[in-house]
Amino acid sequence: MKTVLLALALVATAAIAQAQIKPETQVKLRKSAYSLMNYSFGALDAMAEGKRPYSKDDAVRFADLLQQVSTVPKTMFGEGTDKAGETRAKPEIWTHRADFDTKMNKMIDEVANLAQVARSGDQAALKRAVHETDNACNACHDEYRTKRQ
Amino acid sequence: MIAPGAQASAWDLPTRLFHWALTVLVVFSYVTGKLGGEWMTWHMRSGYTILALIGFRLAWGFVGPAPARFASFLRGPATTLAYLRTLRAGNRPAPAGHNPLGGWNVVLMLALLALQAGTGLFSNDESAHEGPLAAKVSDAMVDRMSAIHGWVQLVLVVVVALHVAAVLFYQLGLRIDVVRSMVAGAPTAPRTVALAAAFAAASAAVVYWLVVLYPKP
Repeated sequence: MKTVLLALALVATAAIAQAQIKPETQVKLRKSAYSLMNYSFGALDAMAEGKRPYSKDDAVRFADLLQQVSTVPKTMFGEGTDKAGETRAKPEIWTHRADFDTKMNKMIDEVANLAQVARSGDQAALKRAVHETDNACNACHDEYRTKRQ
Repeated sequence: MIAPGAQASAWDLPTRLFHWALTVLVVFSYVTGKLGGEWMTWHMRSGYTILALIGFRLAWGFVGPAPARFASFLRGPATTLAYLRTLRAGNRPAPAGHNPLGGWNVVLMLALLALQAGTGLFSNDESAHEGPLAAKVSDAMVDRMSAIHGWVQLVLVVVVALHVAAVLFYQLGLRIDVVRSMVAGAPTAPRTVALAAAFAAASAAVVYWLVVLYPKP
């Protein structure tokens, strides 16, 4: 029951996001989400690579933040957001939507896994999860984001 | 025509080691850069090593044995063009050391690799990895450096391809064993090797300071 309600709530949130938020604002919100993801994931990667001292508490904190924000961009690529304000989103997102969504969901799954692994306190597992998440992020960046000029 | 044996006497051991270390690292950097993600840590280490190697080669271009010195192989445009005409006439010119065209190619590759490794220090991959000096400059600068890093990579692919094509042309077309001369080379005095080691160590120390000590908060 709880799961069904949660699923309904998520669908409703997605629908609301698409229906009510202006394209311009959607772009702003997804970029903000990506900024926070970059911040939290950057810290986790630094920890995984030994560039930042490992702390289980920090890992959990950053992974939780990452997981919370990771579901936001998915709902912010609505109609008209391909050219609302400054965005490096490629038009291919909307012509290859199924593939884009698959990659987006893969990232969300990897982040969810990362948040679980962070709780285990297993550093080697954390490193693996960080790498998997990194690959999932890059899969989209390589195909659906224009390069910096 | 100069026999391959005479050709082979040009390169001292440090210059040859430099050449092949650079070859391996440039390929490694290219591959790890394309793979991205977890490979970026190695991509960056490779870049630091390339930077140190270039520092060594610049110094070696002034203090190394004659054939390795810039003054001995950098010629004016007239000489370079004359050399090109000799090649087109179908001759087999084989000066020991760099020919005028190859000499400029050395400078071009060193400059491009220095630019590439240098911009890499200020670049990020917009995911989780950034060069050690990226935090020292503005985000706009990081974006600019990252973009340049992307463009120079394409130019380097072309320049390296030309270099390999030129080597194949000498090797197969003119039948001058330039590969062998970069492998076998000249007997090198222990004193020369020691001098090279000192300059390589100094260059590595400067890079270590730049990418490890200086960026520390």
